[in-house]
Amino acid sequence: MNLRKPGLTLYGLFIVMALLAAAALLLGVAVSSILVFLLIYAALAYSINFITGMIGYVDFGHVLFMAIGSYALATLVSYFGANPLIGVGAGAMLGLVFALGIGLVILRFRGVYFAIATVVLVLAAYNIVLQLPQLGEGGEIIFNLTFQPLAPYFTIWTIVLIEIALTYYVNRSRIGFGIRAIKSEEDAASSVGVNPQRLKLIGYMLGGLFAGAAGGVYAWSTSGVTAGPAFDFTVSLLMLAMIIIGGVGTSIGPLLGAVVVYIPSYFLLTSVAQAQPLLIGLLVIIMALFLPDGIVGLLRRSNKRLRLALE
Amino acid sequence: MTLLQARNVSKNFGGVQALRDVSFDLPESAVIGLIGPNGSGKSTLLNIIAGLEKPTSGIVKLDGKRIDNLRANRVVRYGLVKTHQIPKPFSNMTARENVAVAVLYGRRNIHSPRPALEEAHSILALVGMESKRDVAADRLTVQEKKKVELARAIATGASILLLDEVFAGLSPGELKDSIQLFRKLHDELRFSVLVVEHVMRAVLTLSQKVMVLEEGRIIATGSPDEVVHDEKVIQAYLGSKNPAA
Repeated sequence: MNLRKPGLTLYGLFIVMALLAAAALLLGVAVSSILVFLLIYAALAYSINFITGMIGYVDFGHVLFMAIGSYALATLVSYFGANPLIGVGAGAMLGLVFALGIGLVILRFRGVYFAIATVVLVLAAYNIVLQLPQLGEGGEIIFNLTFQPLAPYFTIWTIVLIEIALTYYVNRSRIGFGIRAIKSEEDAASSVGVNPQRLKLIGYMLGGLFAGAAGGVYAWSTSGVTAGPAFDFTVSLLMLAMIIIGGVGTSIGPLLGAVVVYIPSYFLLTSVAQAQPLLIGLLVIIMALFLPDGIVGLLRRSNKRLRLALE
Repeated sequence: MTLLQARNVSKNFGGVQALRDVSFDLPESAVIGLIGPNGSGKSTLLNIIAGLEKPTSGIVKLDGKRIDNLRANRVVRYGLVKTHQIPKPFSNMTARENVAVAVLYGRRNIHSPRPALEEAHSILALVGMESKRDVAADRLTVQEKKKVELARAIATGASILLLDEVFAGLSPGELKDSIQLFRKLHDELRFSVLVVEHVMRAVLTLSQKVMVLEEGRIIATGSPDEVVHDEKVIQAYLGSKNPAA
């Protein structure tokens, strides 16, 4: 971490975000309805980055918080006629609260035990949702909203912007030092005064908050939610793939990963949809073997100036 | 004035009694050595004092306050820190960042990274690691990692150090350097130390007093010279199947 040269990464990210905003405003509905999913992917990647990327606790069940956000929005919009923005806010809050409750229990497990617990949670939640008549037949809630792609677009845009700023801030602050220490040696961190339980919980809650918000926007953009896709295990894997490909723990990696995973998948969807998980899986294996620090690590190694500038 | 007190500390692991009624005082600025054959309970005792394990019974007090029910990260705030037998540097950071973590979390007076890194710089200079400050911790040699571990312990601002085999695995030259460094640091910082060590030369030269543990009991306490001539101690070492020193 190079504290003396602030900004380059942050300015770069802000420029990209400004371009994304301009693209939606200038090029209109068609572009923004494609890019909204890129931003949802990015928001999810940043959200899992708080727990898996920064702290090293691999969360195979992160899709749970996205589902919670989706159901929060769908319920509020379809049964109470609420403004979708309120649904997104509620999804974020519920994601945070669930992460707090779940985290207090499962963050006591380490390594593979934590990972297994997260998988079990999603299976449990999926079956609970199927049993709840309030959440629709087969956990399906569909609603009709006037077609307004710019509103969800700028909602998720704002969420990603907040995530970028927060990631950047956390990495450079006192808390970032504590978090990196936990990621490397949890016991040693605790023996110099770091409280691992507290910092892990903060990371997990940030993860729940932002995945919940992103899940809300996802339901908003797709006008509904269905249990099967909402609890799809591969979505958790996709989030992990994005941060591994982009560069775990960094401020810039999740956005890079989202672009690399989403853009090809958008074009592949029409031709070889079945092959998409296979291709992403292969890419992750190659990255894990040869580029454990992802694209960010590759760029850092390629150029000394980039090494200092990329965070 | 007594800083650290242990009273009747016992620890059972299942049916095994690792510690039986261990009591001792560690006065201010004192250096006490803790020796004993393998499996005699030395590491268990250090872990209990540092808050990594809880005693089955007994009390540990620091300046009159009980610390035996606190977790490790709380104990550090009370001014007691333990180093690890096998150095555990944060490998994703430089030496200086390693020490900065301890500055940021061990004490209460520095809260932002930049001053913490400056403070870490001067602590690394104190242990002779100034030139390696920006080297990634996983690229350091074993001795350098041990120095980072020591610097990290000092950086917490603790007044009591529990050192678990910091002198093990060093070459004779490195050992001499480390003993000198320890003396220098102790003269400057006046911390009190409980040092667990297999390297007899180090314990006997540095400690004012030595305690000998065998099968979870303290069987002898005294000056280094008294202890090495104690019949029970000689028997404990030579009688065991696996003499440690």
